[in-house]
Amino acid sequence: MKKLFTLFILISSLTVFGQAQKKADKATNEWKYEIECAGIGTDGTYLVKVWSYSKKGSVAITQAKKNAIHGVIFKGFSAGERGCNAQKPLTTNPNIETEKQDFFQSFFEEGGKYMKYVSESTDGNIDPSDRMKVGKEYKIGVIVSVSKDALRKDLEAAGIIRTLSSGF
Amino acid sequence: MKKIVNLKKSLALFAILFVNIAFSQAKKPTIMIVPSDVWCNTNGYMMEYNNQGTKVKIPNYKKVFQENMDIKTVISKINTLMAERGFPLKDMESAIKTLEAESAENAMTAKSGIAESPIDKLKKVAKADIIIQLTWATKQVGPKNSVNFILQGIDSYTDKQIAAAQGTGAPSFSAETSVLLEEAVLAHVDNFNAQLQKHFDDMFENGREIIVRIKKFNGWSGNLEKQYDGQDLSTIIEDWISQNTVKGRFNTSDVTENSMLFEQVRIPLYDSKNRATDARGFLKGLQDYLRNAPYSIPNKLTMKGLGQAVIILGEK
Repeated sequence: MKKLFTLFILISSLTVFGQAQKKADKATNEWKYEIECAGIGTDGTYLVKVWSYSKKGSVAITQAKKNAIHGVIFKGFSAGERGCNAQKPLTTNPNIETEKQDFFQSFFEEGGKYMKYVSESTDGNIDPSDRMKVGKEYKIGVIVSVSKDALRKDLEAAGIIRTLSSGF
Repeated sequence: MKKIVNLKKSLALFAILFVNIAFSQAKKPTIMIVPSDVWCNTNGYMMEYNNQGTKVKIPNYKKVFQENMDIKTVISKINTLMAERGFPLKDMESAIKTLEAESAENAMTAKSGIAESPIDKLKKVAKADIIIQLTWATKQVGPKNSVNFILQGIDSYTDKQIAAAQGTGAPSFSAETSVLLEEAVLAHVDNFNAQLQKHFDDMFENGREIIVRIKKFNGWSGNLEKQYDGQDLSTIIEDWISQNTVKGRFNTSDVTENSMLFEQVRIPLYDSKNRATDARGFLKGLQDYLRNAPYSIPNKLTMKGLGQAVIILGEK
Protein backbone atom coordinates (compact mmCIF):
# COMPACT_ATOMS: atom_id res chain seq x y z
CA MET A 1 0.00 0.00 0.00
CA LYS A 2 2.84 2.35 0.98
CA LYS A 3 4.65 1.60 -2.28
CA LEU A 4 1.50 2.30 -4.27
CA PHE A 5 1.02 5.61 -2.44
CA THR A 6 4.65 6.66 -3.13
CA LEU A 7 4.22 5.77 -6.80
CA PHE A 8 1.01 7.81 -6.94
CA ILE A 9 2.72 10.84 -5.35
CA LEU A 10 5.67 10.53 -7.76
CA ILE A 11 3.46 10.28 -10.85
CA SER A 12 1.22 13.18 -9.80
CA SER A 13 4.18 15.45 -8.98
CA LEU A 14 5.79 14.62 -12.34
CA THR A 15 2.49 15.39 -14.09
CA VAL A 16 2.14 18.73 -12.29
CA PHE A 17 5.77 19.63 -13.11
CA GLY A 18 5.26 18.54 -16.72
CA GLN A 19 2.12 20.67 -16.98
CA ALA A 20 3.97 23.69 -15.59
CA GLN A 21 6.85 23.07 -18.02
CA LYS A 22 4.42 22.82 -20.95
CA LYS A 23 2.83 26.11 -19.91
CA ALA A 24 6.26 27.71 -19.65
CA ASP A 25 7.17 26.48 -23.15
CA LYS A 26 3.88 27.86 -24.44
CA ALA A 27 4.71 31.21 -22.79
CA THR A 28 8.11 31.19 -24.55
CA ASN A 29 6.46 30.55 -27.92
CA GLU A 30 4.02 33.34 -27.22
CA TRP A 31 6.92 35.67 -26.40
CA LYS A 32 5.74 35.95 -22.79
CA TYR A 33 9.04 36.92 -21.29
CA GLU A 34 11.16 40.04 -21.06
CA ILE A 35 14.82 40.32 -21.81
CA GLU A 36 17.22 43.20 -21.16
CA CYS A 37 20.93 43.89 -21.12
CA ALA A 38 22.50 43.13 -17.74
CA GLY A 39 26.08 44.17 -18.46
CA ILE A 40 28.84 43.78 -20.99
CA GLY A 41 29.77 40.13 -21.13
CA THR A 42 33.19 38.73 -21.83
CA ASP A 43 34.32 38.42 -25.44
CA GLY A 44 31.77 36.36 -27.41
CA THR A 45 29.01 36.46 -24.81
CA TYR A 46 25.95 38.53 -23.91
CA LEU A 47 25.01 39.06 -20.30
CA VAL A 48 21.22 39.38 -20.12
CA LYS A 49 18.51 39.47 -17.51
CA VAL A 50 15.45 37.41 -18.43
CA TRP A 51 12.10 37.82 -16.71
CA SER A 52 10.08 34.61 -16.99
CA TYR A 53 6.56 33.78 -15.75
CA SER A 54 5.32 30.56 -14.17
CA LYS A 55 3.18 29.31 -11.30
CA LYS A 56 6.21 27.39 -10.13
CA GLY A 57 9.30 29.40 -9.22
CA SER A 58 11.66 26.58 -10.18
CA VAL A 59 10.15 26.31 -13.66
CA ALA A 60 10.53 30.06 -14.18
CA ILE A 61 14.23 29.79 -13.31
CA THR A 62 14.80 26.85 -15.68
CA GLN A 63 12.81 28.50 -18.41
CA ALA A 64 14.99 31.64 -18.16
CA LYS A 65 17.78 29.85 -20.06
CA LYS A 66 15.45 28.84 -22.88
CA ASN A 67 13.97 32.34 -22.99
CA ALA A 68 17.42 33.92 -23.12
CA ILE A 69 18.41 31.92 -26.22
CA HIS A 70 14.96 32.46 -27.77
CA GLY A 71 15.30 36.20 -27.16
CA VAL A 72 18.84 36.47 -28.53
CA ILE A 73 17.85 34.64 -31.74
CA PHE A 74 14.43 36.13 -32.48
CA LYS A 75 13.79 39.18 -30.36
CA GLY A 76 16.98 41.03 -29.52
CA PHE A 77 17.07 42.85 -26.21
CA SER A 78 16.64 46.32 -24.81
CA ALA A 79 19.32 48.46 -23.21
CA GLY A 80 20.01 48.25 -19.49
CA GLU A 81 21.97 50.72 -17.40
CA ARG A 82 24.26 53.27 -19.04
CA GLY A 83 26.78 51.56 -21.29
CA CYS A 84 24.65 48.45 -21.58
CA ASN A 85 23.39 48.56 -25.15
CA ALA A 86 20.33 47.16 -26.87
CA GLN A 87 21.17 44.41 -29.38
CA LYS A 88 19.38 43.31 -32.51
CA PRO A 89 18.31 39.65 -32.89
CA LEU A 90 20.68 37.22 -34.62
CA THR A 91 18.17 36.54 -37.36
CA THR A 92 17.05 39.20 -39.80
CA ASN A 93 14.19 37.07 -41.14
CA PRO A 94 11.09 37.61 -38.95
CA ASN A 95 9.46 34.40 -40.27
CA ILE A 96 12.40 32.09 -39.64
CA GLU A 97 10.77 30.50 -36.58
CA THR A 98 7.91 29.09 -38.65
CA GLU A 99 10.00 28.45 -41.77
CA LYS A 100 12.45 26.27 -39.80
CA GLN A 101 9.95 24.90 -37.32
CA ASP A 102 11.42 21.37 -37.27
CA PHE A 103 14.87 22.64 -36.44
CA PHE A 104 13.72 24.89 -33.61
CA GLN A 105 11.40 22.27 -32.12
CA SER A 106 14.27 19.89 -31.47
CA PHE A 107 16.61 22.78 -30.63
CA PHE A 108 14.37 24.04 -27.82
CA GLU A 109 13.09 20.70 -26.51
CA GLU A 110 13.84 19.74 -22.89
CA GLY A 111 17.62 19.27 -22.60
CA GLY A 112 17.92 20.34 -26.25
CA LYS A 113 20.91 21.87 -27.99
CA TYR A 114 20.09 25.36 -26.67
CA MET A 115 21.61 24.35 -23.32
CA LYS A 116 25.04 24.38 -24.92
CA TYR A 117 25.03 28.16 -25.28
CA VAL A 118 23.70 29.39 -21.96
CA SER A 119 24.77 29.41 -18.34
CA GLU A 120 23.43 31.05 -15.21
CA SER A 121 25.79 33.74 -14.08
CA THR A 122 24.61 33.83 -10.46
CA ASP A 123 24.69 30.06 -9.82
CA GLY A 124 20.91 30.01 -9.44
CA ASN A 125 20.85 32.69 -6.74
CA ILE A 126 18.02 35.12 -7.40
CA ASP A 127 18.06 38.60 -5.97
CA PRO A 128 14.98 39.00 -3.69
CA SER A 129 13.92 42.06 -5.68
CA ASP A 130 13.93 39.93 -8.85
CA ARG A 131 11.32 37.50 -7.49
CA MET A 132 7.77 38.87 -7.71
CA LYS A 133 4.29 37.42 -7.40
CA VAL A 134 2.08 38.71 -10.20
CA GLY A 135 -1.48 37.41 -9.71
CA LYS A 136 -1.21 33.62 -9.45
CA GLU A 137 2.18 33.51 -11.14
CA TYR A 138 5.78 34.22 -10.27
CA LYS A 139 7.75 36.71 -12.32
CA ILE A 140 11.39 35.88 -11.83
CA GLY A 141 14.41 37.74 -13.19
CA VAL A 142 17.50 35.61 -13.80
CA ILE A 143 20.84 36.85 -15.11
CA VAL A 144 22.30 34.48 -17.68
CA SER A 145 25.29 34.49 -19.96
CA VAL A 146 24.69 33.56 -23.62
CA SER A 147 27.61 32.39 -25.79
CA LYS A 148 26.37 34.38 -28.77
CA ASP A 149 29.41 33.83 -30.99
CA ALA A 150 29.17 30.04 -30.67
CA LEU A 151 25.38 30.21 -31.10
CA ARG A 152 25.70 32.35 -34.23
CA LYS A 153 28.37 30.09 -35.73
CA ASP A 154 26.27 26.95 -35.18
CA LEU A 155 23.13 28.60 -36.61
CA GLU A 156 25.16 29.75 -39.63
CA ALA A 157 26.55 26.24 -40.11
CA ALA A 158 23.01 24.82 -39.93
CA GLY A 159 21.89 27.31 -42.60
CA ILE A 160 19.43 29.03 -40.29
CA ILE A 161 21.04 32.47 -40.53
CA ARG A 162 23.27 33.94 -43.22
CA THR A 163 26.92 34.70 -42.58
CA LEU A 164 28.14 38.24 -43.07
CA SER A 165 30.31 37.10 -45.96
CA SER A 166 27.81 34.79 -47.64
CA GLY A 167 27.42 35.45 -51.35
CA PHE A 168 30.92 36.95 -51.65
CA MET B 1 27.98 5.78 -80.59
CA LYS B 2 27.30 9.31 -81.79
CA LYS B 3 24.43 9.55 -79.29
CA ILE B 4 26.75 8.58 -76.42
CA VAL B 5 29.29 11.22 -77.45
CA ASN B 6 26.53 13.84 -77.62
CA LEU B 7 25.23 12.78 -74.20
CA LYS B 8 28.74 13.03 -72.75
CA LYS B 9 29.14 16.49 -74.24
CA SER B 10 25.82 17.62 -72.80
CA LEU B 11 26.73 16.24 -69.39
CA ALA B 12 30.09 18.04 -69.45
CA LEU B 13 28.39 21.29 -70.48
CA PHE B 14 25.82 20.89 -67.71
CA ALA B 15 28.58 20.23 -65.17
CA ILE B 16 30.50 23.36 -66.25
CA LEU B 17 27.34 25.48 -66.08
CA PHE B 18 26.41 24.01 -62.69
CA VAL B 19 29.86 24.76 -61.23
CA ASN B 20 29.69 28.27 -62.67
CA ILE B 21 26.28 28.97 -61.15
CA ALA B 22 26.86 27.21 -57.84
CA PHE B 23 30.24 28.75 -57.07
CA SER B 24 29.90 32.17 -58.63
CA GLN B 25 30.59 34.75 -55.97
CA ALA B 26 29.91 38.49 -55.99
CA LYS B 27 32.92 40.79 -55.75
CA LYS B 28 33.67 41.25 -52.08
CA PRO B 29 33.92 44.85 -50.93
CA THR B 30 37.04 45.82 -48.99
CA ILE B 31 36.54 47.47 -45.61
CA MET B 32 39.05 49.69 -43.81
CA ILE B 33 38.92 51.50 -40.47
CA VAL B 34 40.00 55.14 -40.62
CA PRO B 35 40.25 57.52 -37.67
CA SER B 36 37.76 60.33 -38.30
CA ASP B 37 38.85 63.90 -39.07
CA VAL B 38 37.29 65.15 -35.83
CA TRP B 39 39.25 62.59 -33.78
CA CYS B 40 42.51 63.49 -35.57
CA ASN B 41 41.87 67.20 -35.02
CA THR B 42 40.97 66.81 -31.33
CA ASN B 43 44.05 64.72 -30.68
CA GLY B 44 46.49 66.88 -32.64
CA TYR B 45 47.11 64.60 -35.62
CA MET B 46 46.59 67.15 -38.37
CA MET B 47 49.01 68.70 -40.81
CA GLU B 48 48.62 72.01 -42.57
CA TYR B 49 49.52 72.97 -46.09
CA ASN B 50 49.08 76.04 -48.18
CA ASN B 51 46.61 75.50 -51.01
CA GLN B 52 47.04 78.58 -53.22
CA GLY B 53 46.91 80.96 -50.27
CA THR B 54 44.35 79.05 -48.20
CA LYS B 55 45.56 77.05 -45.20
CA VAL B 56 44.14 73.54 -45.39
CA LYS B 57 44.24 71.00 -42.55
CA ILE B 58 44.33 67.29 -43.37
CA PRO B 59 44.75 64.27 -41.06
CA ASN B 60 48.27 62.91 -40.63
CA TYR B 61 47.43 59.19 -40.56
CA LYS B 62 51.07 58.05 -40.49
CA LYS B 63 51.64 60.00 -37.28
CA VAL B 64 48.44 58.53 -35.79
CA PHE B 65 49.64 54.95 -36.29
CA GLN B 66 53.16 55.72 -35.10
CA GLU B 67 52.16 57.49 -31.90
CA ASN B 68 48.74 56.43 -30.66
CA MET B 69 48.47 53.11 -28.85
CA ASP B 70 44.73 53.32 -28.17
CA ILE B 71 43.87 53.39 -31.87
CA LYS B 72 45.91 50.23 -32.37
CA THR B 73 43.90 48.54 -29.60
CA VAL B 74 40.56 49.52 -31.13
CA ILE B 75 41.45 48.68 -34.74
CA SER B 76 43.01 45.37 -33.77
CA LYS B 77 39.96 44.43 -31.69
CA ILE B 78 37.48 45.31 -34.45
CA ASN B 79 39.69 43.51 -36.99
CA THR B 80 39.70 40.34 -34.88
CA LEU B 81 35.92 40.40 -34.45
CA MET B 82 35.32 41.05 -38.15
CA ALA B 83 37.73 38.28 -39.19
CA GLU B 84 35.76 35.89 -36.98
CA ARG B 85 32.66 36.86 -38.99
CA GLY B 86 34.48 35.97 -42.23
CA PHE B 87 35.20 39.59 -43.15
CA PRO B 88 38.85 40.45 -42.45
CA LEU B 89 39.48 44.17 -42.82
CA LYS B 90 42.12 45.99 -44.80
CA ASP B 91 44.66 47.46 -42.38
CA MET B 92 45.23 51.16 -43.03
CA GLU B 93 48.68 51.26 -41.44
CA SER B 94 49.89 48.43 -43.69
CA ALA B 95 48.20 50.00 -46.75
CA ILE B 96 50.12 53.25 -46.15
CA LYS B 97 53.39 51.32 -45.76
CA THR B 98 52.75 49.35 -48.97
CA LEU B 99 52.10 52.56 -50.90
CA GLU B 100 55.34 54.08 -49.61
CA ALA B 101 57.31 50.95 -50.45
CA GLU B 102 55.82 50.86 -53.94
CA SER B 103 56.77 54.49 -54.60
CA ALA B 104 60.33 53.79 -53.46
CA GLU B 105 60.52 50.68 -55.65
CA ASN B 106 59.18 52.57 -58.68
CA ALA B 107 61.83 55.20 -58.21
CA MET B 108 64.64 52.64 -57.87
CA THR B 109 63.84 49.84 -60.35
CA ALA B 110 63.59 51.32 -63.82
CA LYS B 111 66.22 53.54 -65.36
CA SER B 112 63.71 55.21 -67.60
CA GLY B 113 61.17 55.43 -64.77
CA ILE B 114 57.80 53.72 -64.35
CA ALA B 115 55.04 55.27 -66.45
CA GLU B 116 52.70 57.15 -64.17
CA SER B 117 50.16 59.79 -65.17
CA PRO B 118 49.06 62.57 -62.80
CA ILE B 119 45.76 60.64 -62.42
CA ASP B 120 47.70 57.52 -61.37
CA LYS B 121 49.52 59.60 -58.75
CA LEU B 122 46.29 61.13 -57.47
CA LYS B 123 44.71 57.69 -57.08
CA LYS B 124 47.61 56.37 -55.02
CA VAL B 125 46.00 56.63 -51.63
CA ALA B 126 44.98 54.01 -49.09
CA LYS B 127 41.42 53.22 -50.15
CA ALA B 128 38.63 50.71 -49.61
CA ASP B 129 35.07 50.18 -50.81
CA ILE B 130 33.65 50.72 -47.35
CA ILE B 131 35.31 53.07 -44.88
CA ILE B 132 34.58 52.68 -41.18
CA GLN B 133 35.13 56.07 -39.56
CA LEU B 134 36.14 55.73 -35.96
CA THR B 135 35.66 58.43 -33.33
CA TRP B 136 35.83 58.39 -29.58
CA ALA B 137 36.21 60.88 -26.76
CA THR B 138 37.01 60.23 -23.12
CA LYS B 139 34.69 62.01 -20.70
CA GLN B 140 35.43 62.65 -17.06
CA VAL B 141 32.75 63.28 -14.46
CA GLY B 142 34.30 63.59 -11.00
CA PRO B 143 36.59 60.63 -10.51
CA LYS B 144 34.79 58.52 -13.12
CA ASN B 145 35.85 58.05 -16.73
CA SER B 146 33.67 57.00 -19.62
CA VAL B 147 34.09 56.70 -23.36
CA ASN B 148 31.80 58.13 -26.02
CA PHE B 149 32.25 55.88 -29.06
CA ILE B 150 31.08 56.24 -32.69
CA LEU B 151 31.49 53.83 -35.63
CA GLN B 152 30.24 55.00 -39.04
CA GLY B 153 30.34 52.77 -42.12
CA ILE B 154 30.43 54.87 -45.29
CA ASP B 155 30.14 53.58 -48.87
CA SER B 156 33.15 55.20 -50.57
CA TYR B 157 31.38 55.73 -53.89
CA THR B 158 27.88 56.78 -52.99
CA ASP B 159 28.97 58.59 -49.77
CA LYS B 160 26.00 56.99 -48.02
CA GLN B 161 26.16 55.88 -44.41
CA ILE B 162 25.36 52.19 -44.58
CA ALA B 163 25.91 51.23 -40.93
CA ALA B 164 26.53 53.01 -37.65
CA ALA B 165 26.75 52.36 -33.94
CA GLN B 166 27.30 54.87 -31.18
CA GLY B 167 26.90 55.29 -27.44
CA THR B 168 28.53 56.17 -24.16
CA GLY B 169 29.98 53.38 -22.05
CA ALA B 170 29.40 52.82 -18.35
CA PRO B 171 31.46 55.23 -16.19
CA SER B 172 34.30 53.59 -14.30
CA PHE B 173 36.56 54.62 -11.39
CA SER B 174 39.47 52.39 -12.22
CA ALA B 175 39.37 51.07 -15.79
CA GLU B 176 42.00 52.38 -18.20
CA THR B 177 40.96 54.00 -21.48
CA SER B 178 42.07 50.95 -23.49
CA VAL B 179 39.81 48.69 -21.39
CA LEU B 180 36.88 51.10 -21.78
CA LEU B 181 37.49 51.18 -25.53
CA GLU B 182 37.59 47.41 -25.77
CA GLU B 183 34.27 47.25 -23.89
CA ALA B 184 32.82 49.84 -26.28
CA VAL B 185 33.87 47.77 -29.30
CA LEU B 186 32.28 44.63 -27.81
CA ALA B 187 29.09 46.55 -27.03
CA HIS B 188 28.71 48.09 -30.50
CA VAL B 189 30.22 45.81 -33.11
CA ASP B 190 27.25 43.40 -33.34
CA ASN B 191 24.75 46.17 -34.02
CA PHE B 192 27.13 47.60 -36.59
CA ASN B 193 27.46 44.22 -38.29
CA ALA B 194 23.68 43.71 -38.26
CA GLN B 195 23.29 46.91 -40.29
CA LEU B 196 26.15 45.91 -42.58
CA GLN B 197 24.39 42.58 -43.17
CA LYS B 198 21.18 44.46 -44.03
CA HIS B 199 23.14 46.52 -46.56
CA PHE B 200 24.58 43.37 -48.15
CA ASP B 201 21.13 41.70 -48.21
CA ASP B 202 19.75 44.76 -50.00
CA MET B 203 22.67 44.61 -52.44
CA PHE B 204 21.98 40.96 -53.28
CA GLU B 205 18.29 41.70 -53.78
CA ASN B 206 18.40 45.03 -55.61
CA GLY B 207 21.92 45.10 -57.06
CA ARG B 208 25.07 47.05 -56.23
CA GLU B 209 24.59 50.81 -56.04
CA ILE B 210 27.07 52.75 -58.16
CA ILE B 211 27.68 56.20 -59.59
CA VAL B 212 28.14 56.68 -63.34
CA ARG B 213 29.55 59.80 -64.98
CA ILE B 214 29.65 60.59 -68.67
CA LYS B 215 32.07 63.33 -69.78
CA LYS B 216 33.58 64.50 -73.05
CA PHE B 217 37.08 65.35 -74.09
CA ASN B 218 37.64 68.99 -75.05
CA GLY B 219 38.88 68.01 -78.48
CA TRP B 220 35.75 66.07 -79.46
CA SER B 221 33.51 67.91 -81.91
CA GLY B 222 30.33 66.18 -80.74
CA ASN B 223 28.43 66.59 -77.47
CA LEU B 224 25.61 64.95 -75.53
CA GLU B 225 23.00 66.89 -77.48
CA LYS B 226 24.16 65.47 -80.82
CA GLN B 227 21.25 63.83 -82.63
CA TYR B 228 21.15 60.19 -83.74
CA ASP B 229 17.94 59.08 -85.48
CA GLY B 230 16.15 62.08 -84.01
CA GLN B 231 17.29 61.37 -80.44
CA ASP B 232 19.82 63.19 -78.25
CA LEU B 233 22.90 61.17 -77.34
CA SER B 234 22.06 61.79 -73.66
CA THR B 235 18.64 60.12 -74.15
CA ILE B 236 20.25 57.15 -75.89
CA ILE B 237 22.66 56.72 -72.94
CA GLU B 238 19.81 57.09 -70.44
CA ASP B 239 17.80 54.41 -72.29
CA TRP B 240 20.78 52.02 -72.20
CA ILE B 241 21.19 52.56 -68.45
CA SER B 242 17.45 52.02 -67.90
CA GLN B 243 17.48 48.75 -69.84
CA ASN B 244 20.54 47.34 -68.08
CA THR B 245 19.95 48.27 -64.43
CA VAL B 246 18.18 46.04 -61.89
CA LYS B 247 14.45 46.81 -62.09
CA GLY B 248 15.39 49.92 -64.11
CA ARG B 249 16.54 51.71 -60.96
CA PHE B 250 18.66 54.83 -61.35
CA ASN B 251 18.49 58.59 -60.93
CA THR B 252 19.59 61.03 -63.59
CA SER B 253 21.01 63.68 -61.29
CA ASP B 254 22.56 66.03 -63.82
CA VAL B 255 22.60 66.44 -67.60
CA THR B 256 24.36 69.15 -69.61
CA GLU B 257 25.69 69.13 -73.16
CA ASN B 258 29.09 68.14 -71.79
CA SER B 259 28.40 65.77 -68.92
CA MET B 260 25.89 63.46 -67.28
CA LEU B 261 25.68 62.16 -63.73
CA PHE B 262 23.71 59.06 -62.77
CA GLU B 263 23.33 58.25 -59.09
CA GLN B 264 21.74 55.34 -57.23
CA VAL B 265 22.34 53.17 -60.29
CA ARG B 266 21.58 49.59 -59.29
CA ILE B 267 23.67 47.16 -61.31
CA PRO B 268 23.39 43.35 -61.28
CA LEU B 269 26.10 41.54 -59.32
CA TYR B 270 26.74 39.12 -62.20
CA ASP B 271 27.08 39.73 -65.92
CA SER B 272 25.43 37.73 -68.73
CA LYS B 273 28.17 35.09 -68.45
CA ASN B 274 27.43 34.78 -64.73
CA ARG B 275 30.75 36.36 -63.76
CA ALA B 276 30.92 38.75 -60.82
CA THR B 277 30.88 42.31 -62.04
CA ASP B 278 31.38 45.88 -60.82
CA ALA B 279 30.92 49.44 -62.08
CA ARG B 280 33.65 49.06 -64.71
CA GLY B 281 32.33 45.70 -65.93
CA PHE B 282 28.83 47.16 -66.17
CA LEU B 283 29.95 50.22 -68.15
CA LYS B 284 32.02 48.13 -70.57
CA GLY B 285 28.68 47.28 -72.16
CA LEU B 286 27.87 50.97 -72.66
CA GLN B 287 31.41 51.61 -73.87
CA ASP B 288 31.04 48.98 -76.62
CA TYR B 289 27.51 50.17 -77.44
CA LEU B 290 28.74 53.72 -78.08
CA ARG B 291 31.91 52.64 -79.85
CA ASN B 292 30.07 50.51 -82.41
CA ALA B 293 27.90 51.65 -85.32
CA PRO B 294 25.68 53.62 -85.68
CA TYR B 295 27.26 55.89 -83.04
CA SER B 296 30.96 55.06 -83.59
CA ILE B 297 32.10 57.29 -80.71
CA PRO B 298 35.62 56.50 -79.43
CA ASN B 299 35.64 56.64 -75.64
CA LYS B 300 37.70 55.99 -72.54
CA LEU B 301 36.51 54.11 -69.47
CA THR B 302 38.08 54.80 -66.06
CA MET B 303 37.09 53.35 -62.71
CA LYS B 304 37.24 54.10 -59.01
CA GLY B 305 36.96 50.89 -57.02
CA LEU B 306 33.88 48.71 -57.32
CA GLY B 307 31.34 51.48 -57.33
CA GLN B 308 32.26 54.42 -59.55
CA ALA B 309 33.13 54.60 -63.24
CA VAL B 310 33.46 57.35 -65.83
CA ILE B 311 33.13 57.21 -69.61
CA ILE B 312 34.89 60.08 -71.40
CA LEU B 313 33.66 60.50 -74.96
CA GLY B 314 35.73 61.54 -77.96
CA GLU B 315 39.11 59.80 -77.56
CA LYS B 316 40.51 56.44 -76.59
